[in-house]
Amino acid sequence: MEDLGLKIFGAILTTIMAFAVGMTYGGIVRKLTARVQNRFGPPFYQNFLDLVKLQSKKTNIAHGFMGHTAPVWIIIASITVLMFIPILNGNLWFPNLNFHGDLIFILYMMVFGSLGMALGAGQTGNPNSAIGVTRGLSMMVGYEIPFVLALVALMVQYHTTSIQDLMQIQHESGTWLIFSNPFAFLAALFASLGMFRYSPFDIVGAPAELASGPMSEFGGKYLGTMMTGGSIFSFIKLTLYVDLFLGGAGNPDHIGIWATLAGIGVLLIKTFTLYMVPVFYGWVSPRYRTEQAIRYFWGWPTALGIIGLIWAVY
Amino acid sequence: MINDKDSQKIVDYIQNFSRKHSLFVMAYGTGCGAIEIPATMTSRYDAERFGIRGAATPRQADVLLITGYLATKTLKRVIRVYEQMQEPKYVIGFGSCTINGGMYYDSYNTINALEQYIPVDVYINGCMPRPESVISGFIKLQELIQQGKADNGKRYRENLEWYRTNQKKIIKNWKMPDYNW
Amino acid sequence: MTDLIKEQKLLENVTNPFKIKGRVIRNRRVEVFCDKETVSSVLLYAKTQLGYIHLAHMTCIDWIDENKFELVYTIWSPVEKVHLFVKTKIDRENPEMENIDRIWDQANTYEREMREMFGIEFPGLKGERDFALEDWEEIPPMRKDFDTHNYAQQTYFNRPGREDAKDVRETLVERSGTEVPDFAKKYSRER
Ligand code: SF4
Repeated sequence: MEDLGLKIFGAILTTIMAFAVGMTYGGIVRKLTARVQNRFGPPFYQNFLDLVKLQSKKTNIAHGFMGHTAPVWIIIASITVLMFIPILNGNLWFPNLNFHGDLIFILYMMVFGSLGMALGAGQTGNPNSAIGVTRGLSMMVGYEIPFVLALVALMVQYHTTSIQDLMQIQHESGTWLIFSNPFAFLAALFASLGMFRYSPFDIVGAPAELASGPMSEFGGKYLGTMMTGGSIFSFIKLTLYVDLFLGGAGNPDHIGIWATLAGIGVLLIKTFTLYMVPVFYGWVSPRYRTEQAIRYFWGWPTALGIIGLIWAVY
Repeated sequence: MINDKDSQKIVDYIQNFSRKHSLFVMAYGTGCGAIEIPATMTSRYDAERFGIRGAATPRQADVLLITGYLATKTLKRVIRVYEQMQEPKYVIGFGSCTINGGMYYDSYNTINALEQYIPVDVYINGCMPRPESVISGFIKLQELIQQGKADNGKRYRENLEWYRTNQKKIIKNWKMPDYNW
Repeated sequence: MTDLIKEQKLLENVTNPFKIKGRVIRNRRVEVFCDKETVSSVLLYAKTQLGYIHLAHMTCIDWIDENKFELVYTIWSPVEKVHLFVKTKIDRENPEMENIDRIWDQANTYEREMREMFGIEFPGLKGERDFALEDWEEIPPMRKDFDTHNYAQQTYFNRPGREDAKDVRETLVERSGTEVPDFAKKYSRER
């Protein structure tokens, strides 16, 4: 019973941390983007202000059941996935529902939020939403392939489908998987460009063309909830990548409070570095159309994924 | 809910603070003034440092900028956009044309005084106002929000009859959904 | 100054087959006057035989004293680089003109605008009656007998002090009883 209480407390703590980190990263990116464009830029806590404002807006539109629940689906999906991602390696403070095969589970679960969103956006009846959803789903088909190839390469190489095991392997052998299978890492990295929806792949929510796509009928509290879900999700993706390829953070041998803090520090440094990849890529690239994006993903990233798979087998 | 007066004050303060620093502007340009908006938003004048940011749809927007003269045909669309926006919402009249008709004061097809048709919080004068004055207008709006005086939506709801009469006087073929919130 | 020989020749090319009048306005501008019935044949002839393949503009002028509308068709020859104005006058009462959108498709837009702004009918014209205006109930607004100032004052809410084209500064001075500041005088109208 004590164990359960601790787990619930840990889950809440994890969620809050994921939310805070995701929001702050978003704010920092906005600030950095502004600096790159020679502007002063909003403060780094701007996203929190936006969120408070959105949540304090009146929302008097009804678009049916799915329209109401679409943001909730995103939150549900992101928190569920978060529960299965080990934040720190074998740490008491951030427990997770780890089991054998959670890598495959996560693969499925990560699409769940987008699908709920797609259904909700479809029910609003806005033509822009419908176009945005079609584009988003086609884009997802694009980047899922190199992503899945990369993960399969890892599974084949180490004969395991558990994230915890992969982290443990990295911890014990002392080499990160980025070195033992660089091709898989590159494929996954390219896929992450599409996942974060930064510039070349932001046709889904293009404000000028689609009136912000799937979100176009969602304002106020809906938008705020979506923002929350989105920030948690970006933290999840980053942590997953760090766990899989960059050796994770934390040390299972030390679980004191200082070790935990140090682990979080390492995690933040690693995730932020990784986050900068899609952001940097976005600053220097214009927007791709959907078919260009898909062609992009099915070109080199997929080839790298296949090479990674072959590398893993031999 | 919080009933205590002082804690309500704190909540109000936080709400107003975040509302004031996060203004999503509806990207809808009428008239010639819309050309000043890119200048206001981009690197030289950078409105984003005040939290002013574009929003693509009326559902997400807080501020409706009327950037110049309004033809009667456009007025219909503006009313539609305004009514789709969620409270709290604010309207900024931008340029002489929205104040007194400007150089189109005797035109057969443009309205002269905007506040007769939808409530206005802040007017920015000039033909056309430069980005500095646009930003000063926004700061004026922020002050009003902080003091809790920017009650645009409330005014519209309470005087709906009056606004409707004025609007229907111009828009003869009134085929619009009801305003019900 | 060129001696406009090219223009004279081009003018004769148009006027001779139809026995209509015309003149050379200046370098690269030629105009011909014809009556209502010949306009479409002149345009068709100019397009197919003389190479004026582009309809640049169509417009209408309200000569209220003569009780006529004058229609001007501006066509352009990319080979000769000459603008040809084909002008015709039609009655102001129940104005009606031949529809030329089978010669140039884009004429449709100009004709719809003229139908709305001057009330000229073009039989067989495609498209909605509302073009730029919406639900217009008065006489067409570009006609000279339509008093736009009066209409605006009655329909829209004028702000006091802006009923006429007077300098707003004067009204402000009157109201507040102060002087016009020096920097403002610099831009005043009287100068
Ligand atoms: S105030 Fe001047 S710049 Fe603005 S819309 Fe009117 S005429 Fe154009």
